[in-house]
Amino acid sequence: MRFMSRPAGPLGLSLLAVTALTGVVLAVHGWSGRHSGLPAGALAGGSPSQAASARPGRAAGPSAPAAGSSAPAATPSGPGASPGASRGPLLSVQSYAQYSFRVWPGTPSTAAKAALTGLTVKVARRSSGIMVTAGVIGQPANPARFYAHGAVVYIVEASLGDDSGNSDYSLGDDALVVTDAQGRILP
Amino acid sequence: MSPDRSRPATGSRPAARRPAGPAAPPPAAAPSWADQAGRLVGEWAPTVARVLLGLVLAWFGYHELVTPALWTGYVPVVSATSSIAVVLVLAHGWLLLMLAVAMIAGIAPRVVAAAAAILLLEIVISLTATGGLSDLTLRDVGVLGLAIALTGCHTHRLVLSR
Repeated sequence: MRFMSRPAGPLGLSLLAVTALTGVVLAVHGWSGRHSGLPAGALAGGSPSQAASARPGRAAGPSAPAAGSSAPAATPSGPGASPGASRGPLLSVQSYAQYSFRVWPGTPSTAAKAALTGLTVKVARRSSGIMVTAGVIGQPANPARFYAHGAVVYIVEASLGDDSGNSDYSLGDDALVVTDAQGRILP
Repeated sequence: MSPDRSRPATGSRPAARRPAGPAAPPPAAAPSWADQAGRLVGEWAPTVARVLLGLVLAWFGYHELVTPALWTGYVPVVSATSSIAVVLVLAHGWLLLMLAVAMIAGIAPRVVAAAAAILLLEIVISLTATGGLSDLTLRDVGVLGLAIALTGCHTHRLVLSR
């Protein structure tokens, strides 16, 4: 029994060569945009993580669920960081708006609950804003973070395909977004 | 693309000797609709399976190449935020893309299917080790089964043989 009945001909080899080159070009493109992604959120802990490593202002691939120059500015945030009064752009005009699900206030929708798979988000109202604690189930809890003028909390989940049971296999497409009452993203 | 007719289609049986009798069907009877459909499915199913598996590999390969950051969470052992994880995802995506094109074009389909099976086995093991048995894992088990089945298929149509 022959495993390979016939070798690839010149046409097949040419096709594979073109594919290999195309793959290299795409890989270079992917490497250059490796920091593009969702806005920095509080899903990550104190150490850098996929969500926190997202940096704005980089071009993203055509299929990137959420990226682009319009991404909100990411600022370093330590435990209890209190962002200034600066507010970002409207969430509704962001490319990832369609993947954003409101989790607070109110009862999360079915889609929001699905997006929360593997994640945990706790919100406490304060006099001048909200305190948000977000993290990944099974990992050490992240310190709470205060958002001045925070009014609405969204979870961003670009693809539910990486969620299974109570686990989120890839946090690269997840993020937490907090907006003020006008829908402007808070850094 | 040309149909690979190097091997006869399996499933065709030699005419069996039948005792002559009034109940015996006429030897020149036309094959039934079910027989024809079965033969058609037998001839084309491996090709359809090959192309569909190729599309799956192409989809994942393309997205791993274009947005590697979304896939680094699947890389075992290595930190998802490291550059090594991104490089591994890019290499994985490139390999998937190559396998996909070869699979769809029918270039050495059995060898490519075997390589895809090994790749999918690695994915299944990795997913099982990190997250246990889940719907995601079992979904990949099904794709792995498809790749294994294609590894054993001799007859393929629409293969690039030039």
